[in-house]
Formats: sequence, structure tokens, C-alpha cells
Amino acid sequence: MTASTDVRRLRIHVLRYNPAEPEKAARIQTYELDEAEGMTLFIVLSELREKHDPSLQFDFVCRAGVCGSCGMVVNGQPGLACRTLTAELPADITLAPLPTFELIGDLSVNTGKWMREMTERLEAWVHAKQQEVDLRRHEEHMDPDLADEVYELDRCIECGCCVAACGTAHMRTDFVGAVGLNKVARFSLDPRDGRTDADMYELVGNDDGVFGCMSLLACNDLCPKELPLQSQIAYLRRRMAKQA
Amino acid sequence: MTNTLAGRLAVNASVPVQASRWPARLDLAQSISGLLLALFMWGHMLFVSSILISQDAMWTITKLFEGYFFFGRSYPGIVAVIIALVFGLFILHAGLALRKFPANYRQYALFRHHMRGMKHEDTTLWYWQVMTGFALFFLATAHLWWMLTHPGNIGPFASADRVWGDNFWILYLFLLFAVELHGGIGLYRLAVKWGVFEGDDPAASRRKLRTVKWTITAFLIVLGLATLAAYVKIGMAHEDQRGERYTPAWVEHPEEHAP
Amino acid sequence: MRIVYSDVLVIGGGLAGLRVAIGVRRRGFDPLVLSLVPPKRSHSVAAQGGMQASLGNVIKGDGDNEDVHFEDTVRGSDWGADQQVVRMFVNTAPKAVRELAAWGVPWSRVRRGDREVIINGQKVTLTERDEAHGLIAQRDFGGTKKWRTCYASDGTGHSMLFAMGDRAIAEGIPVLERTEALALIHDGRRCHGAVVRDLITGELAACVARATVVATGGAGRLYRVTTNAVINEGIGHALALETGVAALGNMEAVQFHPTGIFPAGILVTEGCRGDGGLLRDAEGHRFMPDYEPEKKELASRDVVSRRMEEHIKKGHAHKSRFGEHLWLDITLLGRAHIERNLREVKDICRYFLGLDPADKWIPVRPAQHYTMGGVRTDHTGQNPSLAGLFAAGESACWDMHGFNRLGGNSVAETVVAGMIVGEFVADYCEGAELEVSTGLVREFIAREQAYLDGLCSGGGKEDPSALRVAMQEIMTAKVGIFRDGGDLAAAVEELRELYVRSNGIVVASRAAGANPELVTAYRTQKMLRLALTVAGGALARTESRGAHFRADYPQRNDQQWLKRTLATWPNPEADLPTLSYEPLDVMTMELPPGWRGYGARNQIEHPDTERRAQQVAEVRERLSGEGRFAVQEALMPYEQLLPESIRGRNERLGEKLP
Repeated sequence: MTASTDVRRLRIHVLRYNPAEPEKAARIQTYELDEAEGMTLFIVLSELREKHDPSLQFDFVCRAGVCGSCGMVVNGQPGLACRTLTAELPADITLAPLPTFELIGDLSVNTGKWMREMTERLEAWVHAKQQEVDLRRHEEHMDPDLADEVYELDRCIECGCCVAACGTAHMRTDFVGAVGLNKVARFSLDPRDGRTDADMYELVGNDDGVFGCMSLLACNDLCPKELPLQSQIAYLRRRMAKQA
Repeated sequence: MTNTLAGRLAVNASVPVQASRWPARLDLAQSISGLLLALFMWGHMLFVSSILISQDAMWTITKLFEGYFFFGRSYPGIVAVIIALVFGLFILHAGLALRKFPANYRQYALFRHHMRGMKHEDTTLWYWQVMTGFALFFLATAHLWWMLTHPGNIGPFASADRVWGDNFWILYLFLLFAVELHGGIGLYRLAVKWGVFEGDDPAASRRKLRTVKWTITAFLIVLGLATLAAYVKIGMAHEDQRGERYTPAWVEHPEEHAP
Repeated sequence: MRIVYSDVLVIGGGLAGLRVAIGVRRRGFDPLVLSLVPPKRSHSVAAQGGMQASLGNVIKGDGDNEDVHFEDTVRGSDWGADQQVVRMFVNTAPKAVRELAAWGVPWSRVRRGDREVIINGQKVTLTERDEAHGLIAQRDFGGTKKWRTCYASDGTGHSMLFAMGDRAIAEGIPVLERTEALALIHDGRRCHGAVVRDLITGELAACVARATVVATGGAGRLYRVTTNAVINEGIGHALALETGVAALGNMEAVQFHPTGIFPAGILVTEGCRGDGGLLRDAEGHRFMPDYEPEKKELASRDVVSRRMEEHIKKGHAHKSRFGEHLWLDITLLGRAHIERNLREVKDICRYFLGLDPADKWIPVRPAQHYTMGGVRTDHTGQNPSLAGLFAAGESACWDMHGFNRLGGNSVAETVVAGMIVGEFVADYCEGAELEVSTGLVREFIAREQAYLDGLCSGGGKEDPSALRVAMQEIMTAKVGIFRDGGDLAAAVEELRELYVRSNGIVVASRAAGANPELVTAYRTQKMLRLALTVAGGALARTESRGAHFRADYPQRNDQQWLKRTLATWPNPEADLPTLSYEPLDVMTMELPPGWRGYGARNQIEHPDTERRAQQVAEVRERLSGEGRFAVQEALMPYEQLLPESIRGRNERLGEKLP
């Protein structure tokens, strides 16, 4: 260890509220702990729960930035807690649950439920042109570049940061968010999906869909996977507007 | 036709009908009306700021619009028609933009809270776009209505009298900031919204766009302030001859003021 | 008392569980999936590198087929695998890839013409065939003769899980998210479902079904340093163990992945080495060719991990303030390749290490990665002692990985097992009505409720987090890559003490709802039982096989140990599991035991090996003109074991179907 004077003392301010205990008002609880090298918010919160407060609720699964469980608001901005290094933050760190999603408790929100509803609403899956595929035979050919392009949009991890960052979603709860619009863009790009632009218009051609987007672009700027949301939403808007 | 019919009959939301095309049309109309208004405002600013070149220049442009150089005399009615068109476009745009306004205090407060926490430039700019848009409901309406009812009162002296003598400079000062901020943000948003000027690197293009946007806005505000100051100066000097119309020295037969 | 009825209860919403659910749904039954987390957040998502299937589309995969995949897998398993199950697997894997292609996985595709790759540290130009253009591409992975690993950039697991998750939603399969199974409901002969706990409200309920499928993934969190997600605590394994009837197979077979980043243990994919990355020591020396001249960095994972630890013990590690590690060098692949095909690796390095792998070496050290052991099942996925209890994927031991799994065979197994077991579960449901007394259900719920109440109000003073950390330290220190009798005996004893102490766990927090402290408490006792099966099995197995390496018994001993460990816990009051063994029959093996082609070459032969090898050689000789299918059929028929709907040969560029 380096000299103790070099170690920062972190003050972690957590917005606490447990809907199962409505009699206890929402409050900011502050914890203090010493920073360590390579410390992430995953390490911070795990340590707080192990040593300071076993009742603290939060969600981590992969702790490697790929599963999208740990979206939370860190000093005002939504992001993935597991891969946020404390070294990149001031000593005062304020953590709050992602807004726009149902609160489970403290920092834990129900993004899963939201995402499933969104998927059902946008029918975000491949609508195959032919139903039965003979699995013994060669797969359908696909242009390698097109496959890469589809993969680019397929990288979304449904963490919900884009929705939490979206001013439109804050005001209008039925807005599908960048995650939803990106799904539609992803499936319209996919040659295996037989749906036309007119079919997609049925799903997002309204003010809860692509025409509800006000291009604030916080989704694009805060997406942990750096998805090209700005271009994709613009592209989708142009295609859907042609349906007019 | 069956779709239309089905749409008319299907009062129950769970009866499937083809999705309405109106949201697409409204979104397009909002963008196009905004674009036209913004382009108009650029032209407008260039025309009025011609006073900075000379009073003759401003007079010439005014008369150009009144048809003086085509018909040999002025028809302020032409200006009135243009104003009416702009007014119509303005009302259309305002109406369409209303769809995006916070619908109640709850939505407004949620957005404010979100914006303050996140400190994200484009999100904050949207708030200012809404605020300036709201201000324009009144500021622009006042100006447009006055111009529509007095289309002939444009000119180096006529405008200066209005600005100074009729105290319009107060209105115009606010209007200037509201229009330039609103228009600048609006044009930038139009570009990112529809994906024009994206190029190979949308992030870099967007940074450039933002720089261009702020540069243009700053330039236009400075230009606007200078122009306003010029009219105030003329207005103060012309206070004693209020109502008199400007005629350049090289015009041989000063025109009768249009009845 | 809330009871939820369905035809098939699937515990676990990862690739295996979802595929089983889709399978039974397509056969007309109602599945219900339980998942600790939203299914798309399951650990399957973290598989970066790819999925093995012998499509042979790329030129370096030319000549690949089921036979080659079979041999690689059996050699990888160090002959611990059930060879019939391996055959079922390798024949279904191409179908699984193709099914996923139809469901939307954006598999990376072959591009015709020349491309430059790095092989063995050298730039090599490969020319892809015209007719392969646009077919699914393969990359190189450890322990394989051909390039066989299909991939979607380096987010393969992610793309697979999302396609599968979307498919499940499309088929209207209900998922109880944030719901945990606490106990299997059974009468000693048949499994009837599970007692479950809502992780939002904390309420208990019963999910009753004709068939119950455990698809809960691995148990990496028994160890302190693991690549596994925090939810991979082996609870599914423990559920089966706690029935007292069902057995766990080969729990001592634990895989360590060579390249966990140091010190966090987060995985960087085998694709790094498959694509040409090298392992280097403190001096920058590429040391793997010194140990494994043939396969070098691409020997099987158990061998590479062991060689790395061996090299560290010899004093060649880089010493950092957190401890010793080696380096993974992918700088030679070039920035363009890294940013295109290894982007997740780049992100992990950037966010967790603050370095750019295109410029700098990555600090790595082996970390626990995979649980070969699991709920023992037959080739249909059903447990032999508890009817109606099925298992699939990492939590199962049907047993295709034996003592070491090949990279790329895990995600492949999840989907293949889902396809196969899903059909067999549906078959089972056709012949098995829902028959359970509400009395039994009530009894199980009451038992679990009493247990939870006891944890909250008991007079003990043990802190569950502390017990868990102690367990993890013991497992990493004494039941790791190098094992010996002394350490293992100590580990068993220490774990047993922790287990006894765990009866005195007390939960301080009274928070309503899920109560995370209570969750830690009840899971910790389950994990301790599981840890004891791992350590106990490892202590008893006095040989080295695959990932199980005993420094005091360095030879693979086919004579005594060509058998599968079965662990049960028949007496809930006991503090140790009961071990028994199930022999593997050499005389029915298609590939009799031999040298793996890498690693040590000093096994003690089984008495039947030579005879069987002779038989096999004779059959091959006799049928040499009949083609590979005839030879295979004569050696070890297996196709009758597969569900009818997924039988049949697989088309390849060189092997057209009629």
C-alpha cells in the first residue's frame, strides 16, 4: 500500500428507499470508506453491503460491463456501475436508482419488466420469411459486411441507461426510448426479417415511437455500448417519414 | 379506402386498423415549417441589417420588396402578403411544436429535475428551445400583427420611428435573443434529427455542427444588436420629424406615400 | 399458500433453460421459466469467443466434421466424457448454429478471397473459397484440430442469448423474473416442482409441474477468483443435492481459464489466443512453446492454465502490488483487428485496467471458469433416481465434458442440450400427468418458511458473508489448479467446520421485501454443501485427469479411476456428502483412452484399453472403404438416442446432402 495520506476517503451518498417499507421516507444515506487501486462501484457497493449495511439493495450480475444489470445514476448521469472506476469520480459520489423504471428498492430497478414489455410491444424478434428451416442444410447466405452491421446494432444490452437519460421518456412514460427504436432499426436491417417499412410503421410510426423522439441525444452520448443511436434514430425517422 | 372506412368505424382501440400516417406528416410539417421560418429569419436579419451599410441600402431593399423597381411605384400589399404567409407558417409551427411541450407541471418539473442532474448540453438546449418558443408566442405575434397591419411602414425612417419613437426596441431586444437562440438550436436539432451532414463520423460532424451553430447564433445576435442600435440612433435623431419617409438623394421623383 | 401450475418448470433463464422452454412449448406444453435476473442478463451473455460446430466453412476448417469434433471433445475431456452423449452433441451442434442463424444471431460470415491472419506469431495469408462467401465463419480455439468456433464478433454469447430471449418472448413463454427456487418438491421418487421465493417481495410460493428442469449454470462463486457472474453460486446443483436422492456427477472437475484479467478475474476470451495472441512472462518471453511445442498457447485450457501456474512457480511471473501474474500479448494482431473482432476485450481493458490492448500487454492469471460437474442425468437429461427432474447446460452432468471442457463447447452445449432435453421433457410430459398432493406442497413450503424464520430469529451469531468469504478463500487456495492430499484433507476439514458453523447463521437485518442479507444467508449454506462435494470428490480421486490435477498423483489412472464420481447428501443432518462411483465402459468406447496430443503422457492404462483399441482398429480396417458414417455406426451406434426431429447428417461444402 502507498502511504495512507495518499488514500482518498470516499463519501458515498446513496438514495435509500424500500417500497416494501413505505413508512420509512426516502433519504440520502452517506457511507465512508477508503479508496483502493482499481476500485469500481461494484467493489464499493459490495463492500458496503458486506461490512456496513447488509440491507442495501442493488443489482450486479456479470460485473464486467456486458449484462446491463447495474445501470444507476452516478453523480447525475446514468451509467453502468460495475465498470465505473472511483478514480474517475470526485470523492463525493452520489448514487441513485435509474429513473423511469419501477423501483424495487434503493438502487435496484425493474428494467427487466420494462424491456420485456417493450419487446412485446415492438415485436422485437426476427419475423422469419419462411417458418420451417431445414437445419441439416446450409444456413442462408448473408453478406459479411451486412452481418457486421447487424451485429453493431445487436450489441445493445438493454441496460436502460438510454431511457433514463432521455428527457422525453421522463415526461412521457409510453415512449419506447432509444433502446426500442434501435431494436426496430436492427430488425429492419436484418435480411432474415420479412417485415417491410410499412410493417415497422405500425410499431413506431407515432408519437410514442420515432416521432416522439425530440433528438436530445443523451441516449447517444451516454450509451455504455456506444451504439450509433443518433444515426440509427435519424435513419429510422427518414424511413418512417417516407410512409407519410 | 377500406382502411379509411375501418378507421372511421373502429372506435374500440383493439380493433386493428392501419396506423395513422398523421404522426409522420405532423413531424415532417413541424420540421419543414421550422426550417422555412429559420431560413426566413436569416434573410430577414440580412435585410434589416442593411441599415448598417447605409440608409440607401435599406431603402432599396424595402422598395424591392414593395415592387417599386418592377412597377415604378410601391405596393406595400406585397409585403403584407409575405407577412401573412410568414404569420401562417408561424402559427402552424407553434401549433405543431405544442405537441412537444410539457403537458402539465408534473412533466415540466420532471424534465427540469432531470436536466439539472444530468448537465447534458443538448438536453439543456431543448429546455431553452421550449422557453424561447414560448416567449415567441407573444413576442413574434405582437411584431407580426403590427407589421401585418402596417406593411407600408418599413424604411430607414419609418422603422427607426417605430423602434425608438414607439418603444418597439424593448420588444425587439427580447425578440432578438428569443429568435436567434430558438432558430439556432432548432436548425441544429433538425440536422441531427434527420441525419443530414452526418458524414462518416457522426460524432465529429455533430461537434462541428454545434460549433457552427454557436458561431452563427453569436454572429446574428451581435449583428442584431448593432442593427437595433443603428435604428435607435436614427430614431433619436429623427424624433422631431416622426412620420417623414426617407427618400434617397438620387431618387428624382419622390413617391407619394401610399394611401 | 400460492401455487402456480405449469407443465414444465424451468429453473434458470439462460441459453439452456430458454431453449428447453421453447422446445416444450413447440410440442404444445406450457413451460414456466424461473430466473434470478431478467433472462437476457444471465451469464450466458458473457461468453465472448464462440460456439463450436463443425460447419467447416472457412478454409482452415476444411475437412472438419462430426468425427473430428468428437475426437477433440473426448481428448479434451481426458476420456472422462460419455462418448455417446458427445456423439449426440457434435451431430446436433451444426443444427443449433443454423437454428440460431434463422432466429437472428448475426454470426460473422466468410468473405471470399485473401485475408491476413496471425498463426503462431507469424502473418499468414488465407484464401477463402468463393462458394463459402456469406456462410458462417469459424475461428481457432484451444484444443481443436480445425477452426471450428462460430462467432459473432466477440459478443457471441450476448447475440445468442438475445436471439434466444427474443424467441422465447415471441413464443409467449412466461418468465418469473427475480424469482429463486429454494427447494425441489419431491416424494423421494418423483420431482413435482419447487418452492420459490420472490426476490422483490420476499414471499414464498410453490411452482408445481409435471417436469422440473434445472438449468442454473455454474458454481464459480464457490471460489474467490472466478470469471463467473455473481449469480453463479451453484444453487441449482445444491437444490438437487438437497433432495438427498439425486446425485451430482464429477463435482471435483473444475476448469480454470488461462486468461482472467488480474486481479479482478474478469474473462478475456480464448479468441485472443485463437486469433494469434501470445502468453509472455515477466521477461517478455513467450513460454508456452517450451512446455507444449505442438499446440503452444492453444492446448486445452486445463493444460495451459497448469503450465502458466507452473511457470509462475518457477519465478517468471511479473510481480505487481496485488500479486503475481503473466501477460497476454495481443498487440501483434493490430489495432484494426482488435477494434473489429475483440472489442469487448478492448472495453474490458479500458474500463477495468485503464489500458489499450493494442499498445500494451494484458495482465492475466488463471481464474475459476467452468463447472464440468453437475446434476447427474442420462442422455435424455433426466436424473436416474428422481423421475421428472431434468438438467441441462452447465448445471448438468450428462456428461459431455468429462474432466475438461473445450473452449467454445459450453455455449454450444447449452443450446444443443436445450434442443435435445426439451424434446425428452416433452416426451416425459406426454406420459406423466400432474400428480401431487397439496399436503406435500404445503409441507415443503412450511419447511422452507420455518428455515427462513429460523435464520432471522435463531440464537446464533455467525455472519453469512464472513463464512462465505472464508469458504471462497479455502477453495481458491486448496482446491485450485494444483491439488494435493494434504491441502485437500485440510480443505475438507475446514469446510466441514464452516458448514457446522453455518447452522448458527443469524440475519441481523429485518428489512421487508427481498432482504439481501437473508438471501446471502440461505445461499451460503447451500454453497458450503456444494463446496464439500467438490473438495471431497477431489480428495478421494487419487489421480490426475483433465482439470483435476493431483501433484501427489500426477498420472491419469484409467485402471482405477475411469469412473464418474457421484455425490449425494442422503442425510440432512450429515456434515459430509456420500460419494459413490459409476464406471465408464471402455469396451463400448468409440475412441479408447490414449494420449490427448498435448499435456503429460503418462497414464496408467485400463485393462480393457488394449483389447478395445484392437477392436476399433479392426473395424476401421474392415470398413475402410465404406465411408466414415459406416465406421462410426459400427463402432458406437448413437443416432437412435437422439430425438427424431433432430436426427440426420449435416450439409457441408464438401459433403452435400441428397
